[in-house]
Amino acid sequence: MAKDRSQQEDYSGPLKRLLLGVVLLCLIGTFLVWRIDSPRVERFRAQVTDKVVPSMDWAMVPVTATINLLRDFQSYQRLSEQNQELRSELRRMRAWKEAALQLEQENARLLDLNNVRLDPRLTFITGVVMADSGSPFRQSVLLNVGARDGIVDGWAAMDGIGLVGRISGVGQNTARVILLTDAASAIPATIQPSGQNALIAGDNSAAPVLDFLENRELVRPGDRVITSGDGGVFPAGLLIGQVAADPAGRLRVRLSADYERLEFLRVLRHQGTDPVTDPGGVVGPMRPSDTALVPETGGDTDG
Amino acid sequence: MASLSSRVWLMRLVYCGLMIVILFFHLLPLDTVPRHFAPPDLFVAFTFAWVTRRPDYVPTLLVAAVMLTVDLLLQKPPGLLAAMVVAGCAFLRSRAATPASETNFATEWLTVTGVLFAIFAADRAILGLTEIGAPPLLLSVSQLVLTILFYPLAVVLSQALFGVRKLKHSDADALGARS
Repeated sequence: MAKDRSQQEDYSGPLKRLLLGVVLLCLIGTFLVWRIDSPRVERFRAQVTDKVVPSMDWAMVPVTATINLLRDFQSYQRLSEQNQELRSELRRMRAWKEAALQLEQENARLLDLNNVRLDPRLTFITGVVMADSGSPFRQSVLLNVGARDGIVDGWAAMDGIGLVGRISGVGQNTARVILLTDAASAIPATIQPSGQNALIAGDNSAAPVLDFLENRELVRPGDRVITSGDGGVFPAGLLIGQVAADPAGRLRVRLSADYERLEFLRVLRHQGTDPVTDPGGVVGPMRPSDTALVPETGGDTDG
Repeated sequence: MASLSSRVWLMRLVYCGLMIVILFFHLLPLDTVPRHFAPPDLFVAFTFAWVTRRPDYVPTLLVAAVMLTVDLLLQKPPGLLAAMVVAGCAFLRSRAATPASETNFATEWLTVTGVLFAIFAADRAILGLTEIGAPPLLLSVSQLVLTILFYPLAVVLSQALFGVRKLKHSDADALGARS
């Protein structure tokens, strides 16, 4: 019996080692393929997520709700304190509301005067946040809308107020939003009122860094940061947040979106900005003779 | 003997279930704000605790499949951590097989600490070499330290809740005859 067993071990030992080797090779191969051909593997990842996470949804929703309820109970303890804060905030908000109403009326009047037509193609799809990235190393959330609802990679996702992130990875029923705080996120932005262009680069902290700023002198903490629409991926003019300086003196963005509670996100449909190819067409209507004139003017400058 | 075998399969299922529960709580959309420290890696802690106790409950293929799924679902580089955990398991398995490992818990904890640190260092080195960019050092270090600190708790939980204990000699003989 003992001899028999030792023979079996002689046989199964190398076999196990072979299996281990094959498994290790497969895993490292997966990693290398991902490194070389990332989009394909990421698509596969999106498909896996698409299959797995919705099947957990029936349990995730009640558990999340329960935990949030418990957290709310904790906050009831400092209810009176919060009440005071809210009251004073409300007073300030009333003043702002008054100002906003006046501005809205003025804005409507001015728009009317100018005959401005706001971009009618900028509609949105609202999705519910199903899951987060699950690890502290990546900042993303999973929405319950996907290719089925016409979501396309690269579209912007907002909460009610500010930009939250960008769609990256679309499955049939789910879509992943890379948050602005993720280390892989970089969004071209404009800083108002100076009009400086910059890149909002996430670094796994609550406030992303303002990068590639042209002239730092012109930017002050408190300035508004909006998307610039450069690169044609995002619509321009979405609110991102406000400039703030961290203790080290680096400029960061305090995000307007409420990252504490991301529950519903709006995904903005964006068909891409039409590129301007012909400068003449922008300045005025095309006349029939314009096309004939072009070679002549070219010849003039040569001669 | 048939009951022993079915128990092994049952425990493999229990391992899968445990991993799914941990994954489930990871995926709950509760924390969307970036944190400065990372929680312990429960997947790795429990897998190592089980593999040092009962290697037959966590076969290589199962660990590989579970870890690859975790990598895919938690937005990690797919396959990297899985490969290193599988290699770490193989090392711990070989140590558990030698009779010298009939020792106290401190030695085991030290060994696991060594493996975890090796995984941490290799992970950062490979991420750096392939120019993917390693996560902030504070995050990784806090995860490493917390995982090491959590390991004894994972062992206690595995023993108390799931009855995953090291085999005595008589059991080992019975098991050896079976395989």
